[in-house]
Amino acid sequence: MMGVPVNPAAAAETPVPSIPAAPGRRGEGKLAALLLAPTVIGITLFTLVPIIGSIVLAFFDWDIISTPKFVGVKNFQTLASSPTIRVSFLNTFGFVLIAVTLQIAVAMTLAVLVQSKMPGWLRSFFRSVFFFPLILSAASVSLIMSYLFNEDFGTINKLLGLLGMSPVHWLTSTTGAMVVTVLVYVWQNFGFTFLLFIGGLASIPQDIYEASDIDGASPMKRFWQITMPLVSPTMLVATVMAIISALQIFDQPYVLTKGGPGDSTRTAVMVIYQSAFQELQFGLAAAIGLVLMLIIMLVTWLQFRLSKRFVFYM
Amino acid sequence: MTDITRRAVLGAAGLGAAGTALSWKRLTGLDIPGRGADQLNIAINGTAQDAAANQGLIDAFSALHPDIKVRIVPIQGADWSDFFAKILTLVAAGTPPDVVMVATEGTQLFAERLAHPLDEFVMRDKEEMREFFEDVHPSLIEAFMYQGNLFQLPLSWNAANMYFSSKAMERAGLDYPREDWTWGDFQGHLRQMRKASTGTFRPFFWTNRLWGGVVPWLYSNDTSFLKPSRYAGGEWLWQQFYPGEKGRSGGYRWAEPNADDPKVLESFEFLQELVAENLGSSPVQGGGNELVSRFGSGVIGMTPSGGYWVHGLNQAGMKRDDYDVAFFPKRRTQQHQFGTAGYAIMRASKRKDAAWEWLKFCVSNQGMGIAQKNPDSNSARRSHNTKLYKDTGPAHWKVFYETLDRYPTTAPVPAPPQEAAVETALIKNVLGAVTGSRSNVKRALATLQRDLELAMKES
Repeated sequence: MMGVPVNPAAAAETPVPSIPAAPGRRGEGKLAALLLAPTVIGITLFTLVPIIGSIVLAFFDWDIISTPKFVGVKNFQTLASSPTIRVSFLNTFGFVLIAVTLQIAVAMTLAVLVQSKMPGWLRSFFRSVFFFPLILSAASVSLIMSYLFNEDFGTINKLLGLLGMSPVHWLTSTTGAMVVTVLVYVWQNFGFTFLLFIGGLASIPQDIYEASDIDGASPMKRFWQITMPLVSPTMLVATVMAIISALQIFDQPYVLTKGGPGDSTRTAVMVIYQSAFQELQFGLAAAIGLVLMLIIMLVTWLQFRLSKRFVFYM
Repeated sequence: MTDITRRAVLGAAGLGAAGTALSWKRLTGLDIPGRGADQLNIAINGTAQDAAANQGLIDAFSALHPDIKVRIVPIQGADWSDFFAKILTLVAAGTPPDVVMVATEGTQLFAERLAHPLDEFVMRDKEEMREFFEDVHPSLIEAFMYQGNLFQLPLSWNAANMYFSSKAMERAGLDYPREDWTWGDFQGHLRQMRKASTGTFRPFFWTNRLWGGVVPWLYSNDTSFLKPSRYAGGEWLWQQFYPGEKGRSGGYRWAEPNADDPKVLESFEFLQELVAENLGSSPVQGGGNELVSRFGSGVIGMTPSGGYWVHGLNQAGMKRDDYDVAFFPKRRTQQHQFGTAGYAIMRASKRKDAAWEWLKFCVSNQGMGIAQKNPDSNSARRSHNTKLYKDTGPAHWKVFYETLDRYPTTAPVPAPPQEAAVETALIKNVLGAVTGSRSNVKRALATLQRDLELAMKES
C-alpha cells in the first residue's frame, strides 16, 4: 500500500497522522439535525407530549367540559377496586396468552410448510392469501364475523346443523365469545407473523440443512435443532410484536360482543375507551392507560431479558 | 457527504416556514367549510347524505329567516352514546355546535352539563307555541324536562310495540291479540308459532339494548332497573299548555338502582324461561337494521319495535298486510317504554335566539312536513303521525300514537345523566341473566345491582 512504511523501526519514527477534522463534519451534523427534525418534532408533539399529558391527567378528575380537578391517586384506587377493570385486565392477559401462542404456532407451521419444497408461484399465492386479512379493517372483519357466528341465523351454525350438530352459543356464552374473539383476531393477524417467519427461514443458510441431510437428521430433528435455534431472533421479534399488539386488543371484541356476555370479553383498552368516551372519566381512563403502558413495557423488558437464554444469533 | 452551509440551512428553514404559512389553514383546520363563519351550526346524528336531505328544511327556514345562515353538521355515531362522545369532543376542542339533536338517552346528560333551558323562549312565544303543544302528547314533553326546566322540543319518538309476522300468526292459527293481552297470552302465541313452524324460525327475537330490550318487560311489570321518581317543578309549562293534565312533573328522576326488586327478578325469569324454552333468542347486541331483513324474510315471529320499522319493512318489500303491530303485552300494568328525540340549544352558543327560531320552525307543521316524509319514526305531532302511517303503515298503525293516548303513564327509557355507564351495566348483565339456568338470574341481577351502584356513584 502506498505510503505505509514496511520497516517497523521506520514505522515507529513515522508520526501517526492525527485524524483530520472530516471535511464538512459540522455540516453533516446540521444536515442530520435538519433531516431528523420533522421526526423528532412529530414524536415530541404527537407521542411524548400526549404521554406526559396522560400521566398528568391520571391524577385528575376531568369530564372534558369542567375544569380538571386534582384528585391524587384516587383514579388508581378506583382502578384497583373496580371489579370490571380487574376482570378486563385478566381477560386481556388470558387473551394474550392464548391468541399469541396460537398466532405464533399457526404462523410458524404455515411458514415452514410454505418454505418447504413448493413451486414459487404457489408460495407467492399463499403469502398473499395469508397476509390478505391483515389489510382489512378489523371492525369490518369483526362485523362480518358477527353475522357468520350469529347463533340463530349465522352460516357457521347452519353448517353445523347440516352435520347434525346443535347450534353453538358462539357470541352469547362466555366461552364461545372468547373463542370467537381469539379465532377472529388470530385469523386476521397471523399473516404478519407468518411473513416475519418466512423472512427468518429464508435467511437460514441452506448448507446447514444439506449437512444435516448428509448426517441423516430426521425432519423433526432438523426443525428443532436447526430451524428453531436459527429462527429464534425472528421468533423474539414476532413474539414481542404479537404480545404488544394483543395487549392492545379492542376492535374485535368491541364489534363482536361489546365486551360481553357480562365482562367476559371486555379488555383493558375497551375499558379505557368506555371510561373516557362513554362515561367521561378521562382521568380514570388515563390511569388505566398508564398501567397498561407499564405492563407492556415490563413484559417487553422481560422478553428481552429472557431472550438471552433462548435466542441464538449466528 | 455534502457540506451544508449556513445559507442552505437558512434557505431550508425559510422554505419550511413558507410551506407552513401556506398550509396554515389546513394545519389549524380553518379551511373546514363553515368553521368560524357566522352561521347556526346544527349537529345531527347521521351521514353527509342525511345532512343533504335536510336541505329542503334549510331552504324553507331561510325563506322565513334570511338573516340566519344554517349549516347542518353530520356526525356519525354507532349509537347515541358514541354521538354524544363526539359532540363532547367538539366542545372540548372549542368548536361546539349551536344546536344538537339529542335523544332521550342524552337528554339529562345535556341538560345537566351542556344544554340551555328553553323555558324563557317557550313562554315568550307561548301564543305561537300553543298549537304545537295541543298536537303533542304531554308524556313526550315531560321526557324532555329536567329539574323543572324544559330542554328540548320533541320531533320524533318511538315506543316499543309488538310487531308480528302475519304469515307466522296465520300458520299458527292465531288472531290479532286482544288489546290487553298478557305475558301468558304472549307466551302461548309463541308456543303455537313454534309448533307450526320449521327450520330456523324464531317465535320471538329481541336485541340486548336499552331501548326495546328488557325495559318494556320491566315497565309492563310495574318496575324498572332504576327506581323511578319525579322532579318537582314544571308547573309553569303544565298550567300554561296542558291545564287539564294531572300528575305531570318537572321531569323523570332515576337516582337509585332497583335491580334487587322482586318484580325485576320476575321479569328476568320470564325472559329466561322464553330463552330456555327456545321460544326467544338469546338477545344479541345491536340495532334494528339487521332485524328488518330477518323479519322481512319471515324467520321471526314477533319482535318489539317502533314506528321507525315501517319504512324499513316497506323498503324490504313487505306489504302492509304482511305484518301488523300491537300493544306490548301486560303483566301488572301495560305501561310502555319510549324514546324521543329533538333539538337542544347548547349553553355555549352565541346564537341562542337564532337557535330557538330553528327549533320552533322544525316543530312547526311546515317544518315537520318537510323534514319527515317517510314513516321512519313516529312524529311527535299526532296530526303528522296520521299522515305518515295511514297509507303506508300496517292495519293497526293507530297503535303507535295510541300507546301514549291509551297508556298515559308510558315513560321514557331510564336515562339519568350517567346514562352511558348505566346502559353498559344493564346490557352486560342481561345476557348472563337470561341465558342458562334459572339460578343464573339472581346472580346476574346481584351483579347488575352492584354495577348500577358503581355507575350512579361515579357521577
